[in-house]
Amino acid sequence: METKISKLVITLTVIGIISAIALSFVYQWTTPYIEKHQAEAQKKAINAVLPQAEEVKEVEKEGQTFYEGYDSNGNRIGVAMNASGPGYQNVIELMIGVNINADKIYAIKILSHEETPGLGARINGDEFKSNFVDKEFGDYDVVKRQAKTEMEVEAIAGATISSKSVTSIVENAVKQIESAYGGGA
Amino acid sequence: MFKKILYDFKNGLWRENPIIVLVIGMCPTLAVTNTVQNGLAMGIATSFVLLSSEIVISLFKKFIPNNVRIPSFILIIATFVTFTDFFLKAFFPDIASSLSLFIPLIVVNCLILGRQEAFASKNPTRRAIADALGMGIGFTWVLVLLSAVRELLGMGSIFGLTILGSWYQPMVIMILPAGAFISLGVLVGFMNVLKRRGN
Repeated sequence: METKISKLVITLTVIGIISAIALSFVYQWTTPYIEKHQAEAQKKAINAVLPQAEEVKEVEKEGQTFYEGYDSNGNRIGVAMNASGPGYQNVIELMIGVNINADKIYAIKILSHEETPGLGARINGDEFKSNFVDKEFGDYDVVKRQAKTEMEVEAIAGATISSKSVTSIVENAVKQIESAYGGGA
Repeated sequence: MFKKILYDFKNGLWRENPIIVLVIGMCPTLAVTNTVQNGLAMGIATSFVLLSSEIVISLFKKFIPNNVRIPSFILIIATFVTFTDFFLKAFFPDIASSLSLFIPLIVVNCLILGRQEAFASKNPTRRAIADALGMGIGFTWVLVLLSAVRELLGMGSIFGLTILGSWYQPMVIMILPAGAFISLGVLVGFMNVLKRRGN
């Protein structure tokens, strides 16, 4: 009852080829839609962290993509970038927009995370994100009480690790932007 | 003939319900039932893959040698799963991003491979269709029920709509993995009691 080995090989090869052909058509059909959604999500994120920007330009510097925002007079009002780092369970990705003229952060937007629902997931809440609105550049301390100084960030109750993760991602992103754009200027 | 097909269809709904009775496909059952939207989307996606692969496999069962039936089934299932993944990403990006990894993982859902092995590879296509529809709907309704319980207790809402007012203190544990085990256990126990009553 042993089936010839050639028949086994032919069966699997035929199934593989048919699958590949079918999927390449599906891929061609869906890719434009998928790319459109990704571009839209990216644009929304940039607008959220550079609210006053009328025009956004993509710039490569030091191997990193930055999004420069310009106002209606053509003045550069800020820079945004994608930043990511380890969270409590998985990588946290966020978009950060800064005002390089005043050395201040405009805002951050969390793009993806897998933090604990109800606890760490509150990094996506306005209450936590407001910690970074109009914050000066620097090394931040995560504190478990109300933030008193400019360099303090108020942690989410029960989610200190998530809070610290976001803070260090923000710190690193600010450093990268400062090095690419030479601090103030 | 019609009676037989109806029997196959009803089989998955209750008597051999994949989650409650066969207890297969536990990975998505436990992982994505934290909101009704996720549970429903996962149920529909899994049902689609189950139906399409049962049709294809029961149509071509004569051409698939016994020695390589499992790899052949997996190839066919993976094709439909990849299709589902692309389709959701293109037309339902919100659902795709909240289910993320669990869509590609449908490939290894033992409910799907199990039905090919136990049913589609041995029965005519019309019975395979009835079986897939029954099992798919059976899988989906339990996912929806489970996720409704978890979302209601864990977030005070159903389908994202707030049901329980601000007086309700959400039990966060219900939307965490531990809550999945607790509510699934209670649900299966409850269904067993109902079943025993029925007999």
